[in-house]
Amino acid sequence: MDHNTYIPKLAKIIEIKDEVGGARAIKTFRTQFLEDNGFAHQCGQCAMLSVLGKGEVMISISSSPLLKEYLQFSILKMGRVTSALHEMQIGDIIGIRGPYGNSFPIEKWKGKNLIFIGGGIGLAPLWSVLNTALGKKKDYGNLTLFYGARTSGDIVFKQELDELKNQMTVHLSIDVEEPEWEEYVGFVPLNVLDKKPSPKNAIAITCGPPIMIKFVIQNLQALGFKDDQIFTTVENKMKCGIGKCGRCNIGLHYVCKDGPVYSWAELKNLPQEY
Amino acid sequence: MDKILLKKALPQWVKKLQAYRIYAPTKDEDIWTYEVVNTPEDIDLEFLTTALSPKKIIFPQREVYFEFEKPDVDNPDIKETLPEDDPTIVLGVRPCDAKALTLTDLVFGGDFKDVYYWKRRNQTYLVGLACHTPPSPNCFCLSVDGSPHSKEGLDILLTDLGDKYYVESLTKNGDKLLNLAKNLFKLPSAANKKEYQKIQAESEKNLKRQITNLKKVPPKLKGMWDSPFWDDEAMSCLRCGICTYMCPTCHCFDINDEVLSSTPLKGKRIRTWDTCQFPDFTMHSSGHNPRPDKASRLRQRIMHKFQYFVETYKNYQCTGCGRCITKCPVSIDIIEVLEKVRDYGS
Amino acid sequence: MINVEDLRKEAKRILKEGKVKYVIGYERDQNGLLPKPAFIKDPDDVDRMIWDPTCIHNLTKFLVDEKKRKAAEKKPDERPVGIVVKGCDSRAIVVLLQEKYIDREDVHILGLSCENYGVIDEKKLAKKLKGKKAEKIELDDHGNFVITAAGGTIKIPADELLAERCLECPANFPVVYDLLLGDKKKKKVDEPFKSLEKMESLSENERWSFWTEQLSKCIRCYACRSACPMCYCDECVVDTINFAVTADTTATEKAGKIKWVEKSPAPSENFVYHMVRAMHLAGRCIDCGECERVCPLDIPLRFLNKKLEKEAKKLFGYMAGFDPDEPSLVSSFKDEDPEDFIR
Repeated sequence: MDHNTYIPKLAKIIEIKDEVGGARAIKTFRTQFLEDNGFAHQCGQCAMLSVLGKGEVMISISSSPLLKEYLQFSILKMGRVTSALHEMQIGDIIGIRGPYGNSFPIEKWKGKNLIFIGGGIGLAPLWSVLNTALGKKKDYGNLTLFYGARTSGDIVFKQELDELKNQMTVHLSIDVEEPEWEEYVGFVPLNVLDKKPSPKNAIAITCGPPIMIKFVIQNLQALGFKDDQIFTTVENKMKCGIGKCGRCNIGLHYVCKDGPVYSWAELKNLPQEY
Repeated sequence: MDKILLKKALPQWVKKLQAYRIYAPTKDEDIWTYEVVNTPEDIDLEFLTTALSPKKIIFPQREVYFEFEKPDVDNPDIKETLPEDDPTIVLGVRPCDAKALTLTDLVFGGDFKDVYYWKRRNQTYLVGLACHTPPSPNCFCLSVDGSPHSKEGLDILLTDLGDKYYVESLTKNGDKLLNLAKNLFKLPSAANKKEYQKIQAESEKNLKRQITNLKKVPPKLKGMWDSPFWDDEAMSCLRCGICTYMCPTCHCFDINDEVLSSTPLKGKRIRTWDTCQFPDFTMHSSGHNPRPDKASRLRQRIMHKFQYFVETYKNYQCTGCGRCITKCPVSIDIIEVLEKVRDYGS
Repeated sequence: MINVEDLRKEAKRILKEGKVKYVIGYERDQNGLLPKPAFIKDPDDVDRMIWDPTCIHNLTKFLVDEKKRKAAEKKPDERPVGIVVKGCDSRAIVVLLQEKYIDREDVHILGLSCENYGVIDEKKLAKKLKGKKAEKIELDDHGNFVITAAGGTIKIPADELLAERCLECPANFPVVYDLLLGDKKKKKVDEPFKSLEKMESLSENERWSFWTEQLSKCIRCYACRSACPMCYCDECVVDTINFAVTADTTATEKAGKIKWVEKSPAPSENFVYHMVRAMHLAGRCIDCGECERVCPLDIPLRFLNKKLEKEAKKLFGYMAGFDPDEPSLVSSFKDEDPEDFIR
């Protein structure tokens, strides 16, 4: 009997962290499967989270595959299902099915310098690959993170970022001047241009608002990065998560199945319909 | 094995198939649809085409994935609701509709097989009826690598020879169905065989519409992404969804939770048909819509069927049944659109 | 009799003078007898325009499309749109004017009178032709349709081919127009709402069975809603999402949209969808018949809307779409409105 991938596995919320408050609230959830170990995933893959009675939403798994105790998701409150998730308490049960999608080709990146460039909630899909690289530090070259948000209040993983500064180069930024902000002020793509990371033996991975990605790619190209050295993740409306319902179809691909991870060399040849 | 079945013996064969649930074309005023038939005498294969293809039997408009409930303090419970064991025979399947099922098979198979689709598919046997005169004035199966007597996807193919059917069993399941009424099936004579071949040859000539050089279209489409062509063609589209809902190869769907009671929580997760032609199909929760206008949605329908699917599966995602042309309220004609694409720029 | 050249001449004039962006009319479909909507932008293209009893479509839905398109553009072309309308279609424009959805300056109306006839019902025609394909259809001087098909001609009395609504038509020529071609004589209709008689004579149980059976066929393709010019809401009761969202709409607002009707075609949901749609059209429907024409499964939707049209007339003496200045029935109150529901 074929496994029915549509049936979610039940998981308990074991931790909830308020990352960002207000109208565009972000919370980080850690979940543990009830019955078994659930599934193993690779960096970049996503899972469909179910709130029974409300619906499902596809969220990238932001915990590293090296971490076995729980799965971590950072969720921006946007609509019906994410609002229901934000109402949940520790101990509540959700459904999780997956893992879906492709993953970052980290095997091919061994020995290379990795430059992570994130904006806003976009740090979450990068978090798994960033932490995996940190966990296997000797396999990779220099690790750098560029991360920015609109205001200091919109920065996610604040605590973790402070700890990260001891382990790798971290360049933070906010869009608009604030008192007591000592780091870069300006959009993330401009911060990248300012710090001039070298394209030599490097891979850049970026995720964030579409407009940020567009300018990050432009600026990386200006710095000499080739299209196959730039990676990103694509977001699209999804329902089935397995490339059948047609919703996330772009060209020959279904983002849920053939993505969400793409190199710019691949992505630029797909219809820009996402 | 090839056999002959007299038309007047058809109800007797159907009587022997009573262990199965039998779908046959049924007339309601002027519309034919596949419905469950309980009395063999009611089987009438003198029909042209049905409004909806037999796809609705294997991929129904409403499929319950599972039921869920959360009784008070306990953990929620999910109960899978697979389709029941219900061996089914569909009588009178047109070759275009059968071929369409082989195409939806490609989509619902692959990694992550869709168990609901396959449970129904594996217990459904298709008895086809070859065409002689085209069932629709808009049929064009030959242009999309099909034919009025194609055997693809069928277990049995019947060819109408006037007062009898030339019966070809194409699979082991087909053999099984014939063996249930062995005595009704005779061996064909040489004259029968000749008649059968004549009908087949005529059926191809009888087809009224075609698209010549369709193979020029997929590469042409690649360069037409930004073309204003789509704005002009989609101007009259009402985005009603009829073309995709009637289409035997279309497979887009939606999944929603339907709540029967909030406390205690009780409900079902249900799959329904959906269409890329609806404005909200690709709309993100943020309000951003990658396909906000009719032009981009028409472009998607044509490109998906005649370029993306072709590159992925080496088949057009269209079997030429003509339903979208006949039923479009504003007469958007896919053959015309494809011909314009083929000749675009020349 | 209308000379189509007069129509073409006027269309050419308004296009040449730049008075309108484009003209919405009818053109021959290459593939068959029925016409299809035409969007004429070039004054030299006006010869594509046709007019005959096959011009069934209500083109006013494209005025709704035009408004939505303009709303999405940064610098829209504010010129009006030319449109060819029959009597029933013009009533749809009047309802849009009554409801202030469009302004009179947004349309340049080319009105065509159906004179003493109307448009044909293609299903009735198909039945009469029994599989033969019609090539041309004309009206003769004796009230017959003359149909050219399969090398010969067939004469059929008009009443046998006309759309049901044409037999009860209260507006055989446009009620608002910039140009009117054809006779301005009101068609004599002995019994308006005659088509409802059979349904009204059925008992409540019989009617329930009838509608249960008919609505179970519905596959919720929403073609009826898409074809109706009066169904223009961005936030429709039947959609699970709200189209009128902006970057400022909060998640809580989006999450709060109530699901009145489930998406799946369960019998209860189909009933609710069609009943709600009919109620939302009460006092607004002008019986263009498009909903029934486009339904791919031949569900007789007109009965629902026609009944409510009759109720509107009976209870309030109101008929939608005649006077652009008359307040819409459902958004106004008169002292004489019946109050017998107050007990």
